[in-house]
Amino acid sequence: MFKIIVSIFIFSISLFSYETENILKVVIVGKVAKYITFPEKASKEFVITVYKNRCGTLFDDTYRNIKIKNKPVKINYIDNIDNIDNLGYTDILYISKITSSKLSEILKKTNNKDILTISDNRGFAEKGGVIQIYFVSQQLKLKINTQVATNKNLKIEPILLRIADIVKGNQ
Amino acid sequence: MRYLNIKRIFFSSLFLINSLSANEKLFDEDIEKLLSITTESKVDVGSRDDERNYLSSNTPIDVVTNQQIKDCGLTSLIDVLRYYVAGFNAPETSIADGSDHVRAYTLMGMNPDQILVLINGKRVHTSALLHVNNTIGRGSSHVDLDTISLVSIDRIEILRDGAAAQYGSDAIAGVINIILKGSGYSNILNVQSGIRKAGDGEQLEANLFMSIPLKYDGFVNFTFDAKKQNQTQRAGLDHRVEIPRVTTHVGIPDYKNYIASVYTEILQENGTNIYSQLSVEHKDSEASAFFRPSNEISKSLYSDGFLPIIEAKIMDYIGVIGIKGELDDSITWDLSNSYGLNNFHYFVNNSMNYSLDASSPEKFDNGSLSFTQNTTTLEFKKDDDRFKIAGGLEFKYENYKIKKGDYESYIGTGSEGFAGYGPENEVDVDRDNYAIYIDGIYHLSEKIKLESALRYENYSDAQESTTSKVAISYKLTSKIMLRGSGSTGFRVPSLAQSFYSQTSSFIDSNNELTTQGTFRVDHEVSKSLGAKKLKSEKSKHLTIGTVFRPNKKTSLTVDYSYIVVRDKIVLTPDLSPRTQEQKEIFAKYNLSAARFFANAARMTTKGINIKLNHQYIASRNSTFDFGVWFSYSKNSVKKTDDISLSNSNNSTEIMIESGQPKDSLKLLTKYKYKKLETTLNIDRYGSYVQLMNDEIYKFNATWITDLNIAYKLTKNIKTSFGGINIFDAMPNKWDNLDGDLYGTNGIKQYSRYSPFGYSGAYYYIKLSMKF
Repeated sequence: MFKIIVSIFIFSISLFSYETENILKVVIVGKVAKYITFPEKASKEFVITVYKNRCGTLFDDTYRNIKIKNKPVKINYIDNIDNIDNLGYTDILYISKITSSKLSEILKKTNNKDILTISDNRGFAEKGGVIQIYFVSQQLKLKINTQVATNKNLKIEPILLRIADIVKGNQ
Repeated sequence: MRYLNIKRIFFSSLFLINSLSANEKLFDEDIEKLLSITTESKVDVGSRDDERNYLSSNTPIDVVTNQQIKDCGLTSLIDVLRYYVAGFNAPETSIADGSDHVRAYTLMGMNPDQILVLINGKRVHTSALLHVNNTIGRGSSHVDLDTISLVSIDRIEILRDGAAAQYGSDAIAGVINIILKGSGYSNILNVQSGIRKAGDGEQLEANLFMSIPLKYDGFVNFTFDAKKQNQTQRAGLDHRVEIPRVTTHVGIPDYKNYIASVYTEILQENGTNIYSQLSVEHKDSEASAFFRPSNEISKSLYSDGFLPIIEAKIMDYIGVIGIKGELDDSITWDLSNSYGLNNFHYFVNNSMNYSLDASSPEKFDNGSLSFTQNTTTLEFKKDDDRFKIAGGLEFKYENYKIKKGDYESYIGTGSEGFAGYGPENEVDVDRDNYAIYIDGIYHLSEKIKLESALRYENYSDAQESTTSKVAISYKLTSKIMLRGSGSTGFRVPSLAQSFYSQTSSFIDSNNELTTQGTFRVDHEVSKSLGAKKLKSEKSKHLTIGTVFRPNKKTSLTVDYSYIVVRDKIVLTPDLSPRTQEQKEIFAKYNLSAARFFANAARMTTKGINIKLNHQYIASRNSTFDFGVWFSYSKNSVKKTDDISLSNSNNSTEIMIESGQPKDSLKLLTKYKYKKLETTLNIDRYGSYVQLMNDEIYKFNATWITDLNIAYKLTKNIKTSFGGINIFDAMPNKWDNLDGDLYGTNGIKQYSRYSPFGYSGAYYYIKLSMKF
């Protein structure tokens, strides 16, 4: 009996519970990369660039010891839209909630780059982003623009497409 | 050896746990699992900070989620709040005229007109009804929560703090903000049927939510809700008739309620958002007055007495249109107009007007009340990294009307049960006000968040007011947050409180015909009793508390509130004339008693709210959530208007101080295993008293148990069944009260203050289909 109780205790504290939206957002940004084949690039690191970080130290805390595509994860933070032009090497660009005009500008700047763009801005996928994060009834959902992903040479595995809402067309 | 093995497992597991951060463990989960995690509820109310959840708020907020609404098997918003919010009280009254049809509710024992109700942050108009009987909520007009369909709601936020500096008048006891479902929600059809244990009170409800997605996550959401409720009958024998029998209806009323609403958001690529909400509700409700035993006058129409039936036809409209946009990188604007109209039309059937003898009709149109409110708001918001600031202008227009009924309904003694409104009661009054406000949030450091608000308001019929608020939180450690707020507030007298009047005749407990009335403060009857022009209630608030989160599964909040309301507006008890001048004026109007509104009291509310929530995850497929929520509030009233209240017993003070349970305890549990969900809740409602014939009668604390069992038949079809008050707990009857109308063996054997009604257990079955 004692063993059962101890096992349940150990198992229960090793699982997750209520999370904030921010934690889930941060985790899902890297998680979706597991289901996407990126164009071959010679880099020793998997780079996530965060535009207008609103998640405190969550990105650093989460990805400090994690590997994506067998590479250690590097987090870059940028606040200035001009820095988008000089992003250098990045695999994922996560864009926090910003105004529509700024979002359009960023999407224009990244249009020809093979970068996985992820954001929780409303209408992101339809506006030309690749993956949109949104919450309904306290649960995270994904919206994927497959056309934009194809244009960016990103190959998305069916398992990810199956659990996401699909948006077609490049706005 | 065995013990050592267990020890090894235990410590190696702990090592594994410690070597990975919580977020890293999350990262290792299947993506489907991540998408099934329930996040902490966000809150909008009480702050311009759209990034916070209810545990990081500077002020105490309760949240009732969409899932919780689905879990409880209740069909009305007011019952859902009573179910989930400790300290929220909503008795079911009977034989109280209009109050039978629009249920009053209180928070921490404070009146419903001291609770501001918002939908998506926009002020909702109140009902036209003014509670004038001795019911909880007496003297107030408030938002009729039955006009909002549960199926349209995403979540309900209940701010337990003053917020007049942010929202204006009325936000004294707290603010209820109803957030409607937006984009991404599934279409759903719910059908529910239920019945009381006694075999009456049948309910049948069908509601439908349909969402049509539009470009850029815009949507058009439709809601249709139809509900029918049959009355319950808990009346005792009527000993006034020759052979005692049940003559009167005592219990919840018969009603049919229909709600249709459309909520849309149309988004442009440039971020402009055009939004609108249109909602129409129609309710047809019937409840009785006391049975009128046969007498010499009524014999001509009713040989064996008659039971007047008061019918309320309620129409409610909400129309909101607005546009939001972006000025530049960090400034957004929002221009909106909210319109609301509530019309409450009285009819009395199966009655007569004694003054008209045999020529009296049996059906009467008794006139109507209507209230209109139109609010135009322009708001700007600047969002910077360290601070957020919002400011705005608001213009509000209100109109209140009383329309007279049929001549036969008000002439002489008026129709029995409820006398119609006469020409002397008719009013068509309006007022307007404008407000300017500014509201800011400053992240002074990683640990300190400061919020402040300032609002200036000017009503055309009241003094101008300036209110302010400061709230602060400090993260003592990563697990403990301290929070507190101080604010001032106000509530302008409602137009109904200033202009409502009506007289009514009935047979009192001595079996005598008596006429009494509610008079405007400017009427000579009121003036003779000391009435003065009403002024605004003014309040001061202090809230201090703490949030303790030892881990992600457990949270404990403890908050203390102190509220002082000066110049509290009360409806006086029925006052009799004492001086010669008063007697002459009463004789002129053939009155035995009169009441009116007065700024007659200073009220102090002290309360504490404690919420402990914990989730226990037994396995990947089963979770057990439980919460212990406790609320205690103590109201004290001090008369400040010697003229109005000294000429009466202490009924006002007794009702405010002890007419509602001071304490409320809720033990909530939810067990989820694969497709099965079980919700078992136990509530304890504290004791309360009611004054009757100048004697105080006490009613005991009661435990209530509610159960809901739901099973997913398929991915999209769920069935549930359960009960509210499954063990059929009843309040105790009047203790040795010997009366025909109200008494241990009388017609009304239970107090109308009972916080859980007196209709007994309710059992239901529900089917939900997503499509």
